[in-house]
Amino acid sequence: MAHRLLRDHDADGWERSDFPIICESCLGDNPYVRMTRADYDKECKICTRPFTVFRWRPGRDARYKKTEICQTCSKLKNVCQVCLLDLEYGLPVQVRDTALSISSHDAIPRSDVNREYFAEEHDRRARAGFDYESSYGKVRPSDTILKLQRTTPYYKRNRAHICSFYVRGECIRGAECPYRHEMPETGELSQQNIKDRYYGVNDPVALKLLNKAGEMPSLEPPEDESIRTLYVGGLDKRVTEQDLRDNFYAHGEIESIKMVLDKACAFVTYTTREGAEKAAEELSNKLVIKGLRLKLMWGKPQAPKPESETSEGARQQAAVAHSGMLPRAVISQQQNQFQPSGSQDQPPPMHYFNIPPPPQQERTFYPSMDPQRMGALVPSQDGENKTGPEKPQEGQRYTYQAMPPPLHGQYPHQLYPSYGYMPPMPPYQHYPPYHSAMPPPSQAPPTAQLYQQSGTPMPPAIVNAPPASRPSVSTPSGSAPSGAPLASAASGSTLQ
Amino acid sequence: MTGQTMPKVKTNRVKYPEGWELIESTLRELQAKMREAENDPHEGKRKCETLWPIFKIVHQKSRYIFYLYHRRKEISKELYEFCLDQGYADRNLIAKWKKPGYERLCCLRCMQPRDHNFATACVCRVPKHLREEKVIECVHCGCKGCASGD
Repeated sequence: MAHRLLRDHDADGWERSDFPIICESCLGDNPYVRMTRADYDKECKICTRPFTVFRWRPGRDARYKKTEICQTCSKLKNVCQVCLLDLEYGLPVQVRDTALSISSHDAIPRSDVNREYFAEEHDRRARAGFDYESSYGKVRPSDTILKLQRTTPYYKRNRAHICSFYVRGECIRGAECPYRHEMPETGELSQQNIKDRYYGVNDPVALKLLNKAGEMPSLEPPEDESIRTLYVGGLDKRVTEQDLRDNFYAHGEIESIKMVLDKACAFVTYTTREGAEKAAEELSNKLVIKGLRLKLMWGKPQAPKPESETSEGARQQAAVAHSGMLPRAVISQQQNQFQPSGSQDQPPPMHYFNIPPPPQQERTFYPSMDPQRMGALVPSQDGENKTGPEKPQEGQRYTYQAMPPPLHGQYPHQLYPSYGYMPPMPPYQHYPPYHSAMPPPSQAPPTAQLYQQSGTPMPPAIVNAPPASRPSVSTPSGSAPSGAPLASAASGSTLQ
Repeated sequence: MTGQTMPKVKTNRVKYPEGWELIESTLRELQAKMREAENDPHEGKRKCETLWPIFKIVHQKSRYIFYLYHRRKEISKELYEFCLDQGYADRNLIAKWKKPGYERLCCLRCMQPRDHNFATACVCRVPKHLREEKVIECVHCGCKGCASGD
């Protein structure tokens, strides 16, 4: 202690502060957080100047976190002192700078004395009232960055570190070991360097995110000109019809809004096609209501509900197709025939897109009766509720009923698609969660199959969508191209 | 050379009070155990973990003497005081054991708020049903829970 008292802190440029600059995720979910403050406790990882270290526990199952870089460095880049991600968007520095085309690369020197001098100068000026960092507030958010940003706090990063003894098989602490007993993730993402992350250079996470951003498809209008309905997915009970109206009215006159709460989705129909297109363009990948990121896709006309006029013949056909377990090729022909005729001249009141009609057709009641469950790749009627409960963990994620635009014209797919489809690959059922901005990969295998049959070329959006970091090529959900050959293999001889 | 010798030094020879023979053997055993713990190599142990056996044995010795005098009343006050003076038991720790709520206190550090952040006591003082982690070893003395209820 004595040596600290003898130093003149101001003269040396040591930093003292009263509260950390941190993001919500790092602060944690507990509103009652106890934080210790230690002046000049550690040196900043970037500029190596002593600074005030704050230490707290961000929640019950979290490790203790402490500030790693000083406030000067964090203000220069507008990042959290702990995780070094942007305070507003939660993105790595490199991503934010590329997306907003900011380049302060050259401004911050990186070599020893230069860096210390720069940091001190900046600090001194900031304290004297010269306002540097407001430049980050003035930049208008771009489309890309709005698509990429994190909307909810991410607490997984607050978990305890991996127990290195466990990795070697030597952890003798057993139950009282506070570290995680899991195997560490390997791969390029695990080699990160705090300086690289801070300066926005050569950051593997940022590169991955940027690649993904480049491949995010834009929402193309479907070829069928009369579709004026947008599908909104990922709803919650917090989002009301009024919220949807508020968000969607700006782009065109809303004809109707139909909310389907049990499927966590809604359908917004415009009076004009242009309104729908405009809305799609403006809101695609950017729709965030009450902090909930919503998925926006084009609505797909569907085998209508029994109340609807044109339905009868279509439904009978569908019923036959479904319960008769016809080969896929036949069914798709049927679908192609009936679809163009049946779908487009339905007057509003609403198309109930992909909502299961009440069970009036012959249904399969046992998994063994259901072709999808047993491995045949039959694109079924929407009433596939059986497969839903069987794959509950994916059901929520894959309740994207709206087809991506190029699939327009095909028969609507079941509600809980995909992994009912791929019993040949049970070990690959467990997927890491996808970023919600991605087009539903679940659509990829079924669409792949359909494309196999009908010979339609695979839409580029779907093909490119899954990121390269999928665990293995053979994972069915992983990449559509591999999904296609697998699907075709699984579907047997009736195809091709 | 006669005459010039060093002045006679007064030594304090230990005079064992009566009743000593009864407890001597146990105390000698415990002392041997302590010596062993002191000489244990540190291999394979964490830094804080190396000191845990010391605290444990101090607790054990003090416990023995405390029970003999305060609970079972088998030794005289003189012998008890003698043991405390000679260092066979920790007087301050025993003083805490006489207080309600601290009957099972593991060591003096664990209840000292000055030794902890936010002026709390050690986690081992928290009863198991109020804790979130059920299995803990406190960092000071390796205690797994010394609340009086558990």
